[in-house]
Amino acid sequence: MLLPWEYGIRNLTRRPFRSGLTLAALSIVVLLIIVVVGFIRGLEVSLADSGDPDVVLIYSVTSGENIESSAIAARTPGLLTSSVAGTVNRFGVTFASPEIYLGTRIGNENGAVGLGLIRAVTETSPLVRRYVRLIEGKWPVRGEVIVGKLAAAKLGSDPGQLEIGKKLTFEGQDWTISGRFVAEGTAFESEIWCILADFQAATMRQDISLVALLLPPQGSSSELTLFCKERTDLELQAVRETDYYAALQQYYRPVRLLAWMVVLLVSGAGLFAGMNMMYGSVAGRIREIATLQTVGYRRRAILMSLVQEGVVLAAASSLLSGCIALTLLNGHAVRFTMGAFALRIDSFALTIGCGAGLFLGALGALPPAIKALRESVAASLKAI
Amino acid sequence: MKVLNIVVSGFCLVLLGCAENDGKSQANSAKPAAASAFILAFEPADAVAVGVARENAENDQSIAVVGRIGGSEKPFVDGIAAFTIVDLKVQYCADEEGCPTPWDYCCHQDEVKTNIATVKIIDESGKLVSGDARELLGVKELSEVVVQGTAKRDAQGNLSLAASKVFVRAGK
Repeated sequence: MLLPWEYGIRNLTRRPFRSGLTLAALSIVVLLIIVVVGFIRGLEVSLADSGDPDVVLIYSVTSGENIESSAIAARTPGLLTSSVAGTVNRFGVTFASPEIYLGTRIGNENGAVGLGLIRAVTETSPLVRRYVRLIEGKWPVRGEVIVGKLAAAKLGSDPGQLEIGKKLTFEGQDWTISGRFVAEGTAFESEIWCILADFQAATMRQDISLVALLLPPQGSSSELTLFCKERTDLELQAVRETDYYAALQQYYRPVRLLAWMVVLLVSGAGLFAGMNMMYGSVAGRIREIATLQTVGYRRRAILMSLVQEGVVLAAASSLLSGCIALTLLNGHAVRFTMGAFALRIDSFALTIGCGAGLFLGALGALPPAIKALRESVAASLKAI
Repeated sequence: MKVLNIVVSGFCLVLLGCAENDGKSQANSAKPAAASAFILAFEPADAVAVGVARENAENDQSIAVVGRIGGSEKPFVDGIAAFTIVDLKVQYCADEEGCPTPWDYCCHQDEVKTNIATVKIIDESGKLVSGDARELLGVKELSEVVVQGTAKRDAQGNLSLAASKVFVRAGK
């Protein structure tokens, strides 16, 4: 026969301070796990979503996997679209976006300076960058920029400094913010966009970093790849945008592994915290446990009751942590080298966090419970 | 005696089975190359090196060019039977250097620029053959090939070969 469910619950409330401390400790552990998994998910999803499967990037073969260091001739878009068929063309407009992509120091009106990402674009860019949506203000003209939703996080600046009408300073020139955009959680959201010709004049550059071409759905990039291989003098490479971001995911693999290690270490700490609490709880109830055995409860039933206490406490911690993570931390911007991304407290992060919490609650209660039940009933009844 | 007969018969059957399997696996492994209509059975005698062809070949000239598949990390074009070849005189990373992609000639990229050509496999009607050249010709990175086809030059000195036949040298 099992002990009544209320018995375990009542035991938790008999020592409210101890239970409260354990609840707090377990909640912190579960919250940490959720945050770290949310970090991993945010990084992964940001990079995975950033690639449009229909977009092919043409950039310098010598820049490896780093578009920032790419420099190709400004005539490349024209050469590509006139030599290779397959790029989407509607009403005489070819969906090709010549761009400069650059990391540079950006100052705001307060004088604070941070490292930001500039993408100099043309009016065809929104046709190719289909995720980008202007949510406030207008498309920039000369001397103006539009800023992504996470640009402030990337710059490490107050979001109020990136409101419409505010000024930013980079490349020796003042730029007025004319609009704000979102990009469905992709890496573009941490960027600042300006007009290509304007930026070329400011930086005294005549080249561009890349050309992004939109192919029809299921269109092949083979001809573009062949063109790049044939025109060895141009030193170009054609890479599907999804492949580019997949390569970046590989680049950040050690970071993700490290984050999973943190999850394991934090879980280990939580396990010890839970065990410590249950050892204390069981040590003070040796006579009670022996009495339960004397009145006829089997050891397995008592063990189940002790595990129940641990699991109930862990479940409460998981719920509390899940609520805190969802309401206070979900979507919080995190800065990293490639830009910024939002912490993603999704079902996966919650499942891992709450699952780990419940596991810790059950596992942490087992060793002290087993230890208490090994003692002989007679000796335990005499225990002080 | 009866037992001996059974043992010997069983042994013979096992041997026969093994022999059949061996034959089958050999046939399978040789299938892509042997079945391809683009494979030359004999190596053309008048093949020139890629570097020489880049200097001397004229546009639309019929030519045989010898080279090694490589020149970049991905020398094959996905979806089209096309790849790049590099002059045999250009050295690639030795095996003992542990380079994961020796065919990209990372240590000799400057030499590659003037010793590379693009090979496009074309059918009888002159159209580009779709598919994977690796499967079509039974080749891989660093395979030595002799390409027979028509040279295509542009004003920038780039050389492409519209190849109708390819001889694959044994070895790499």
